[in-house]
Amino acid sequence: MIWKILEALIFPGAVFILTVSLFYEWIDRKLYARLQNRVGPHLAGPFGLFQPAADFIKLLSKEDIIPAAADRFLFTLTPILAPTLILLGCMFLPVAGLNGIVSFNGDLIVIIALMSFCTITIYLAGEGSNNRFASIGATRAALQLIGYEIPLTLALLCAAISTGSLSLRGIVEAQMANGTWLIAGPQLIGFAIFVVASQAEMERIPFDIPEAEQEIVAGWSVEYTGRRLGLFRLTKDLELFLLSGLGATLFLGGPLGPLIPGLEPLLHTIYFLAKSILVLIVFTLVRTVFARLRIDQMISFSWKYLMPLAIFLVIITEVIA
Amino acid sequence: MSFEVPIGPQHPIHVEPLMLRLKVEGELIIDVDVDVSYIHRGIEKGLEVRTYLQGLYLAERICGICNCAHSLCYCLNVEQLLGKEVPPRANYLRIIVEELSRIHSHLLWIGHYFHTLGFETLFMYFWRDRERIMDMIELITGNRVITSYNVIGGVRRDITPEIESKLRKTIEYVRERMNYYDKVIDSEPSLLGRLQGVGVLKPADAISLGTVGPHLRASGIKHDVRLDDPYSGHDEVPFNVVTYDTCDCYARVKVRMGEVLESLNMISYALDNLPSGDYRLKIPPFFKAPEGESLSRVEAPRGELVHYSISNGGMNPYRYKVRTPTLANLLSVAVMLKSKGDYEVYIADVPAILGGIDPCICCTARVIITDEVKKKRRVTTLTELERYAREREVRKS
Repeated sequence: MIWKILEALIFPGAVFILTVSLFYEWIDRKLYARLQNRVGPHLAGPFGLFQPAADFIKLLSKEDIIPAAADRFLFTLTPILAPTLILLGCMFLPVAGLNGIVSFNGDLIVIIALMSFCTITIYLAGEGSNNRFASIGATRAALQLIGYEIPLTLALLCAAISTGSLSLRGIVEAQMANGTWLIAGPQLIGFAIFVVASQAEMERIPFDIPEAEQEIVAGWSVEYTGRRLGLFRLTKDLELFLLSGLGATLFLGGPLGPLIPGLEPLLHTIYFLAKSILVLIVFTLVRTVFARLRIDQMISFSWKYLMPLAIFLVIITEVIA
Repeated sequence: MSFEVPIGPQHPIHVEPLMLRLKVEGELIIDVDVDVSYIHRGIEKGLEVRTYLQGLYLAERICGICNCAHSLCYCLNVEQLLGKEVPPRANYLRIIVEELSRIHSHLLWIGHYFHTLGFETLFMYFWRDRERIMDMIELITGNRVITSYNVIGGVRRDITPEIESKLRKTIEYVRERMNYYDKVIDSEPSLLGRLQGVGVLKPADAISLGTVGPHLRASGIKHDVRLDDPYSGHDEVPFNVVTYDTCDCYARVKVRMGEVLESLNMISYALDNLPSGDYRLKIPPFFKAPEGESLSRVEAPRGELVHYSISNGGMNPYRYKVRTPTLANLLSVAVMLKSKGDYEVYIADVPAILGGIDPCICCTARVIITDEVKKKRRVTTLTELERYAREREVRKS
């Protein structure tokens, strides 16, 4: 029992996940900066490694303001709910073995549900702050959900269909049994859809429409300051970890790799992190080479191209499986 | 249901305070109100109380980015008043620095424009290459931003053969980069989606709203002060007036891209055919200008810039008036931002449309006093404002 609690709290649980997701933010920022001919974070720690943590701590120590017009309940609840939901989702990832901290048949569905809940939380956060920019941003977030959620779910389900299992453990085991990763095969299309839809889920360029700085200031998060903003920023980092981890697990075999007896948990962790960093690099590359779309362009793009592609993929997967 | 979204006076897309009150239905903009009266600097009055030479330094500081155009326009104005002609070498040097500052302004604009469209990568690249041009400006004039290059009667410094060879290298580098960026812009679907068909301004509207500069040329109208009224030996330097007839934001980007290439050619030509001789007339620091008035026009990076002065024979101008290009272009923003029939404008298009005119608010603002109690608005004169300020000062002490 005590081991289980330690597992959930420290490794590969909350502490580990938070540390790694801050590290992922650093990779994302540094790579993004280098690709743009900038230096990127370089002051806090070696190569600026502690910059994301420093930013987070700085935000925690800032003044906490609740606007008079805001809904106090939503304004307090949503910044706590959003990172909690994503952190819970991260618990399902098979980091240090074939099992996550929590693992059961159908946990893939739970992760999808948690991500959607997170977007709904963001909608509530925007509408609860009672600001014109925030409510435009919140509406955009909800509209965007309509655009990307179904292709994302279909892409993830195709991985489940082709391996015949709805649990992450089952999908990893099927890849182990086959000896190949899912990405080698028709699921390459699934991976592409997953990458595009993930950018929308994480609200990154070209889909950072709900918080488009130059249009609606900061969108849904405009009224959040101090520790509340810090928690939302942490949510973004956790989402980065969750989605790159999910991509690595479903399409790149997750923790699989050559093993040395006795060192399995360590090697599993290394393989998992290496693969998810690969996915993360793809995410960063995508955000480097595009301009922001307009919300109407985003919706029509997902329904005209992403949706048919996802349905086409389901048919192929069904025929093969 | 419609509601009002205030874009400004402080907003991430504005570098300077400007107010756009948008009336929106969801994402669709149905009405807009533009207010520019947030900065007042009293520069025109300042010019009237300074001697002509002192005025030059103030005129240069009307705008940081087009400082070269302002100082050139001021110098032309005073030279016209004095009836002096600058030596031909000074004219060519003026063209070189003017075109360099046009390139730097356009690169700055294109980069910042892509930033407002969320394309951060291209923003960084454009600004990196702009730095090369800034280095050249520094090498020639001694300053990076406020060049202080034009003086009454010529230019401050000559260029040396070393500077010339460095300048030629930079021109080649920037030309190569611009050709590459041209391809990038034309092949990037997410960017084209944000530019094409956005902020359409028909040629007839562009003329009736009095737009100037690249904004007007992007509506397909061939108008350029350098061509229509060659002011600094532009009749000797060949160049094309770049126009584009799609009349949208895409055209505005393409026109400026084309103008950068044209400016590079002009600099090369000016370097090849640089006349020898003096680069400056000797003019004493204090002088009285003959009575009369004079009007000078310059094609600033943002469009036609007009300086007008009246002299009553004294040491300083009796009246000095500046009309900056942004003031002429802002009217068209109000028209472009309104949805009309098939032409739909979304909130997301505001940065694209407003940015398209290359707004520079600090040289544009006019004072309007709004009386909240009487619900009245009036334009105040500077003297009144000054008196008001002095009275307050007295009351405080």
